Amino acid sequence: MADEALDLCISTLTVNGTFSNDQAKALCSQFAEASSTSAGMTDLVVGLNTLYLTSCGALVFVMHAGFAMLCAGAIRSKNTMNILLQTVMDAAVSAIAFYILGYGFAYGLGDKPNGFIGDALFGMARWYSKNNNDLVGEGWQNWFFQWAFAATATTIPAGAVAERLNFNAYLIYSFFISAFVYPVVVHWVWGWEGWLGMLRNPELTHLFRSGMIDFAGSGVVHMTGGLAGLAGCLMVGPRMGRFDSNGNPVEMPGHSATLVVLGTVLLWFGWYGFNPGSQLLISSLDNASVVGRAAVTTTLSGAAGCLSCLLTAFFRHKAWDLLAGCNGALVGFVTVTAGANVLEPWAALICGLTGGWVFDFVCWVFLKLRIDDPLSAAPMHAFCGAWGVFFVGLLAKREYVCASYAKDCSQWVPHGLFYEGDGRLLASQVIGIICIFAWVFGLMSMLFAVLKFAKILRISAEEEQAGLDVSKHGGSAYNYDHGLGKPEKAQALGL
Amino acid sequence: MNILLQTILDAAAAGIMWYCVGFGFAFGQGENPNKFIGDAMFGLARYSTHYTGSGTGRWTDFFFQWAFCATAATIPAGAVAERFNFNAYLGYSMFIAGFVYPVVAHWAWCPQGWLGFATVKPLLDTGYIDFAGSGVIHMTGGLAGLIGAAMVGPRLGRFDADGNPVEMPGHSAILVVLGTVLLWFGWYGFNPTSMLAIDTYAYANVVGRSAVTTTLSGAAGGIACLLGGFIRRRGWDLVGLCNGILCGFVAITACCHVVEPWAAIICGVVAGIWFDFLCWVLLKLKIDDPLSAGPMHFGTGMWGVFFTGLLAKQEYITEAYNRTEDKMYGAFYPHSNGKLLACQIIGILAIIGWVGGTMTIFFGIFKFFGALRIPPEVEEMGLDRSKHGGSAYNGGGMGVSPSAPGNDVMRNQQQPSIKVLPMNG
Repeated sequence: MADEALDLCISTLTVNGTFSNDQAKALCSQFAEASSTSAGMTDLVVGLNTLYLTSCGALVFVMHAGFAMLCAGAIRSKNTMNILLQTVMDAAVSAIAFYILGYGFAYGLGDKPNGFIGDALFGMARWYSKNNNDLVGEGWQNWFFQWAFAATATTIPAGAVAERLNFNAYLIYSFFISAFVYPVVVHWVWGWEGWLGMLRNPELTHLFRSGMIDFAGSGVVHMTGGLAGLAGCLMVGPRMGRFDSNGNPVEMPGHSATLVVLGTVLLWFGWYGFNPGSQLLISSLDNASVVGRAAVTTTLSGAAGCLSCLLTAFFRHKAWDLLAGCNGALVGFVTVTAGANVLEPWAALICGLTGGWVFDFVCWVFLKLRIDDPLSAAPMHAFCGAWGVFFVGLLAKREYVCASYAKDCSQWVPHGLFYEGDGRLLASQVIGIICIFAWVFGLMSMLFAVLKFAKILRISAEEEQAGLDVSKHGGSAYNYDHGLGKPEKAQALGL
Repeated sequence: MNILLQTILDAAAAGIMWYCVGFGFAFGQGENPNKFIGDAMFGLARYSTHYTGSGTGRWTDFFFQWAFCATAATIPAGAVAERFNFNAYLGYSMFIAGFVYPVVAHWAWCPQGWLGFATVKPLLDTGYIDFAGSGVIHMTGGLAGLIGAAMVGPRLGRFDADGNPVEMPGHSAILVVLGTVLLWFGWYGFNPTSMLAIDTYAYANVVGRSAVTTTLSGAAGGIACLLGGFIRRRGWDLVGLCNGILCGFVAITACCHVVEPWAAIICGVVAGIWFDFLCWVLLKLKIDDPLSAGPMHFGTGMWGVFFTGLLAKQEYITEAYNRTEDKMYGAFYPHSNGKLLACQIIGILAIIGWVGGTMTIFFGIFKFFGALRIPPEVEEMGLDRSKHGGSAYNGGGMGVSPSAPGNDVMRNQQQPSIKVLPMNG
């Protein structure tokens, strides 16, 4: 390759005798120097992809920060320390759990590779012998990036069980999700051997000869987290006073709109690592265009979701509801997460718009069924995540699928039903939704049932009345002193 | 307001001092390069002809190194909070950023320095490894803070007449958490990027690995402190968790590039336990360190430097430094010649000596002139009202805003609990 380029350069310069052969050689070899050594190219490519994925992983972590602020603002202040503690703690627990077990169950390809679960790389054992790739090197950053996703799935349920879950129960289920429940789903959908996903080894048979597409994890991450939250929510029961004796819901708004917005914008910002980063590589024209497009579709879907929920709330309540806008934006992001790489921008708008409707509808159903989900985590992540997965089966565009997954577009590739598709992709999406639901909801319901039986699921009524912060966490989240140096002073002055 | 102002200010002061003298003292290699201090590039003079002792020698290196300098300069703020004279604060920010820190950076990170690993003539033919600065940054800032805290004395009312500590919790757990997660996020720039380049296979591995080890150490430190707090007090302590996470990061900062992931977990766990112990020691000595900056940065920073000498792995050292000489790796690996550990210890002692000496003299001068501490009336009223024109919070604050937009929909159902049940400690 390099020699052809060199020869072309020399022949171009020596035509018409502009340069002598020696002069041309001297000139052309200057350009050939750095870029044509294949080792040099590989180094640069590896460096570029490493830098890209590491940065995106850090951005995904910012989403964790955003979620902490969102949760804090959306619940009552007497439980703020508790939910902050849970959110920060599950970042830590998920890291350890994912290191010891999770990554191996998700991506390990050992001696008995199978479609269900991974069987190697526990504790990152024999990491170097399993990797070594021209595009990503030893790929340490892969562990890091995947952990950030695991942490996201692990923290989503916190919103659904907020304000009344026993902390030991929280510790246990955080570990369980990040060590086992989530990684298995990852293996199915994103693993080289996974039975469900389109990413499966091309030489093996794919589901419906297609396989499920879930780009950044509407199903894998959001459905998993949301369904775990739903299971917990159902098992633990509503907060005291949430439904009156007639079964009608009682308003329990959060204590800080400011924190909700801060959380939302941090999540929005971080999503630009979550979605575009899921291409995993940026070192080619195709990869780069997918990355760029993912940023576009993410933005548009979030925007559409925000406006959708805002308008719905206006029609229902004749008021411009900030919380609805924030939730709507997040819904838009959740739904587009499955197909940010394969949807047209206009399709992303529809995705967010319809996602908002799904969300509002499910929230209404929850209240009718007397399910108390303080953050509406289950409607947002489980149901809108499922909608996002389904939507991909409708509107995934062929050319984008080829660009994103390095497929040959002259052959059949999975694409959406509305593009004169034959429904094979859609069928895979539906099977995926059903199986993820069964696996996650089934396992987590069992876990929560066991915890309930052991009487460590819910806090006591007195603790719930007083608030978890003063009961369990040594004090309030807020000790305002208004610049006087002592909270008691401020209190005494009536501030 | 006071501490917010101080923190913003020392980013700015560090910027100016770093430009004028700091960068030169740290990385300048001029006519008479020596092992102790830099001698070129003051005010970035003749920037294009003097190779900076950092990275690829471009503008970004100045900027990147400034960010580290600002970190070292701001760490002491936590230790001396709520009672420090503002002039003394301004003075020490400039002194640390302009002189104390750059000299340590020169020793450890400039190719001419006497201490560092990648230098022209390394100590004991080996050199001291400190990737992103557990020693250079955190020990420096932490020790300066500790000395300041000891010399300025505890906050009024912090220790009662019998010498027992009185609880003085912070005013907003939200801000503590927000700060912690922002620090966590930023640490992914602090550690992995300290490789300074990513254009080779080996460097890319180092960067990726650093992200992994950083995460694991922070996680382990957090869990260690959380469980420690639970065992001691039967409560789940949020601030303890946050502190533990940060301790894990501080410790791994020295060796994130050369230790195995499992070693990073050990690093974090021990950092958490060591931190809790040092906090207890400080209370026994009646030193009041509001942010526990001394234990966290000085204490766990020192642990991180030491740990590097135990479990730095040969293959990873080769990837990061291109050095393949035998046996100069961690002492817990078989057949190590122990020289790396020796260099780490020498480095610790040198930093303690230098920072301890300079900052004691510096704070001593201010104390001699009675300019170290604010008067008791000012402290009683709070610095914000006395010196900064009012409260940081007018009408409620970030958590409770009766007038914040959207509150007609999100009504404040409950006042925040102002009854504080302190953790027994």
